[in-house]
Amino acid sequence: MRKKFQKFQEKFIEGLLMLSGTITSLTVVLIIVFLFNEGLGVFNNKPIDEGYILAINKSNSVKKLSALQIKNIFDQKIKNWDKVGGPNEKIVLINIDDISDYYTEIQLGKDFENLHFCINDYINKHKGVIAFFSESSLPKKFLGKVINIDNIKLSEFLLDEEWFPTATPVAQFGVKPLILGTLWVSFGAVLFALPIGLFAAIFLSEIAHKRVRNILKPLIELLAGIPSVVYGFFGLVIIVPLIQQVFDLPVGETGLAGSIILGIMALPTIITISEDAMRNTPRAMKEASLALGASKWQTIYKVVIPYSASGITAGAILGIGRAIGETMAVLMVTGNAAIIPHTLLQPVRTIPATIAAELGEAGAGSVHYQALFALGCILFIITLVINLTVGFVTKGKNQKKH
Amino acid sequence: MRVNYLVYILISFLTFVSCKGRIKEEKDDKIITIKGSDTVLPLAQMEAENLMKKNKEISISVIGGGSGVGITALLEGTTEIAMASRDLKKKEKLKFREANMDVEETLIAFDAVTIIVNPANKVSNLTEKQIEQIYTGEIKNWKDLGGEDLVIVPYSRESSSGTYDYFKEKMMDDKNYTSDVLSMSATGAIVQSVSQTKGAIGYIGLAYMTPSVKKIAVSFDEGKTFVLPTVKTAKDNTYSKSRPLYLMYEKGNSKKVNKVIEYFLSVEGQKIVANIGYVPLK
Amino acid sequence: MYQETKISRQKRRNQRIAFGIFTFFSYFIVAILFSILAFLIVKGFGAISWEFITEMPKEGMTKGGIFPAIVGTLILVIGSMIFAFPIGVMAGIYMTEYVKDGWIKRFIKLMTNNLAGIPSIVFGLFGMALFVNKLEFGDSILAGALTLGLLALPVVIRTTEEALKAVDNTFRQASLGLGASKWQTTRKVVLPIAFPNIITGLILSIGRVSGETAPILFTVAAYFLPKLPTGIFDQVMALPYHLYVISTSGTNIEASREIAYGTALILILIVLICNILANRLRKYLSKKVKKY
Repeated sequence: MRKKFQKFQEKFIEGLLMLSGTITSLTVVLIIVFLFNEGLGVFNNKPIDEGYILAINKSNSVKKLSALQIKNIFDQKIKNWDKVGGPNEKIVLINIDDISDYYTEIQLGKDFENLHFCINDYINKHKGVIAFFSESSLPKKFLGKVINIDNIKLSEFLLDEEWFPTATPVAQFGVKPLILGTLWVSFGAVLFALPIGLFAAIFLSEIAHKRVRNILKPLIELLAGIPSVVYGFFGLVIIVPLIQQVFDLPVGETGLAGSIILGIMALPTIITISEDAMRNTPRAMKEASLALGASKWQTIYKVVIPYSASGITAGAILGIGRAIGETMAVLMVTGNAAIIPHTLLQPVRTIPATIAAELGEAGAGSVHYQALFALGCILFIITLVINLTVGFVTKGKNQKKH
Repeated sequence: MRVNYLVYILISFLTFVSCKGRIKEEKDDKIITIKGSDTVLPLAQMEAENLMKKNKEISISVIGGGSGVGITALLEGTTEIAMASRDLKKKEKLKFREANMDVEETLIAFDAVTIIVNPANKVSNLTEKQIEQIYTGEIKNWKDLGGEDLVIVPYSRESSSGTYDYFKEKMMDDKNYTSDVLSMSATGAIVQSVSQTKGAIGYIGLAYMTPSVKKIAVSFDEGKTFVLPTVKTAKDNTYSKSRPLYLMYEKGNSKKVNKVIEYFLSVEGQKIVANIGYVPLK
Repeated sequence: MYQETKISRQKRRNQRIAFGIFTFFSYFIVAILFSILAFLIVKGFGAISWEFITEMPKEGMTKGGIFPAIVGTLILVIGSMIFAFPIGVMAGIYMTEYVKDGWIKRFIKLMTNNLAGIPSIVFGLFGMALFVNKLEFGDSILAGALTLGLLALPVVIRTTEEALKAVDNTFRQASLGLGASKWQTTRKVVLPIAFPNIITGLILSIGRVSGETAPILFTVAAYFLPKLPTGIFDQVMALPYHLYVISTSGTNIEASREIAYGTALILILIVLICNILANRLRKYLSKKVKKY
């Protein structure tokens, strides 16, 4: 009886442990489901606010306008219809919010019940008109012409170069500047943090006396405990002006400032993990190398570093992950201008900063909300690709060795 | 002992699972949530603090996020009062109408949108048109505005901010900002950046003004007269870019929120408005 | 034999240069830390007092204390650990003691690595989509703690694995040889030895969780609450978020600056105390284990 119970218990616990073992996989799957479910929704939508339409005069031959063209029209950069393939007619803009400028409250009615009448009237009267209003106020016998706007396409989403998620009447969802900004800043950070982190890891694990190590290591780990907001303010007050002076720039909020801050933040991760890996090098291997006449330094780079390569890469992955996903600090020091960066000395806007800054505003379910989830998907895919590549590389190395 | 261990694991699992089934509890009647504009946030917090000191029965939570966030929350019924630094958009009005909600907007104070530059900048007057051109990217150097040969660095708020919308609508003729505008997540960050960047220009609420930045006098009549934003000029409307700050609530809910609204409008409440640095109603 | 060869002299020079660089950069990192700390202490030391950590914020957050934010962060840390620690440790045990080498193990390992690499803002998005919106927890402690817990899982799992792997196999063999079952061996022999190192994982994740802003931004954090939370469906204030809002919002930034840096100092102190405590605990426990 007792034995039976014990056997059952063993099985039960094993099951429980297995269940826990799958939690990470489950979480990743859930994240994928939720992120992509929301994020892909963006491609079933038009960049124009739901329930809103753009209309023109019936005599106008234009049938279709791209999001960018519409933005330029409403920014008054395109002023004539002939620039977008229409007749030579000056463009007249009308937004539903300004309709009370043209019609009195009595004409419009107290609850805008005569709105459709006024819209019809206005569109019919002006040949060059382009009007933006809600579908519900579309007159039954509409005298104008509604413009077709296509759903957002994946290619546009990835390749367009303008990010104006709240632009009216048509939002611009071009994430290229954000993706490039994120990559520039993170790779800048790792470029700077990986060597320094490795140096420190080697120092701590192989060179430093135990006493020095016992003091330095907790101090370095403390760097990870500093909240990112503090890094942000430290960066904004100290590093940003410094960069501005050193490089003689008009503005200090640049990708470089972000890279430096992110580099510092990634350091403890890189150091702790690679140091642990190095210290796990079997003593026998090191002693064998030393006994064969290798110097300490030779032992380090011929024995310790190769042995701990997978640990070091793990540290680097986590470092990159931390850099790519870091939000608050970047939000405060990189200037967040959504332009395609050409150097690190320009302001950049990263994906996480965009999500953090804009998610609060975007109402659940709106196109903007979905676009931000799509950004989350991109972030997820970037980190996944990095992880898989590095996993592949370390695995290949290990197999060659054995 | 062994069994205890199992029980512990079981319980922790069960609590986790059972948590999932629970639906949000009904909100306490006495707790009022105010949510929305970051511009109104410091004011609302201060008012709430003082009101709670006086009336121990009321309990007020203040949550930020931006005007849009507050209005959405009001629409979804997750907040009793929304604070906003702009009027309801036509779009939002239609949404409330669709949801059969009657929203009351109460004006509680004014704020003057103030253009600031670095104190070292010689330029101190700008016309409305020039400001628009700076933010749409048509003017890129201070020398075109009578200043020194220095690149203009325009700072803006993030798009979730009511100030962003207001500025776009009222100062920029509803045109879009140029892409190279630097956007900051909060007004405090704009002040900080403008104070340390020589070619910077930014816009903030009057209440955020500090000596580390310089106010710009703005002309609304194409350069004939320039007006400095102050509480006085905003009040008598000679500085015409003062915007209203609102508290919004559903009319059916007015019994519950009345005490709060009344307090904001009371003499004491309006004194707090002035203390914070906004423009009182009277 | 006694004469130094050219090669060994060069070897020695290389070594000296390399070691010099390593030493320099290690101290350089520490210098960065100290400059940040000095910056915080200079700016924030004046703010810290008993009232500061035990009182509610006052006068529009320019006076008074940060008590609710401290409590909020503690609640979130404890909440996330209640969720992440047992599950993470069990997952770690499963990975090292139970599952056999093969594709399942590789797959789980891969997923754990991927989860560790996922940016915190994505956890925030996910937490908002699943816990806040889908499961209708609303902005609440439950939603925030679960989001933070998921974020901390890989750290706990990894350190548990490392700790268990470090336990010498002879212990296991001895125990199994005496007729103990696998679970008995794990629980009575392996876990006690690995325990001090597992605790490190707990501490590491506490450090990570207490400073995170992005995951709680949309799941739990509030700007100002008049009362401490009474249930798991309440919102809380949290130190990192509090620091973010008072250092960037508020009309009188100069006046709240001191409080902002005071808050930052407190946050760092919490992490510091955690670390010291962990170190002490680890040393104490490992001594105790050695006695066996």
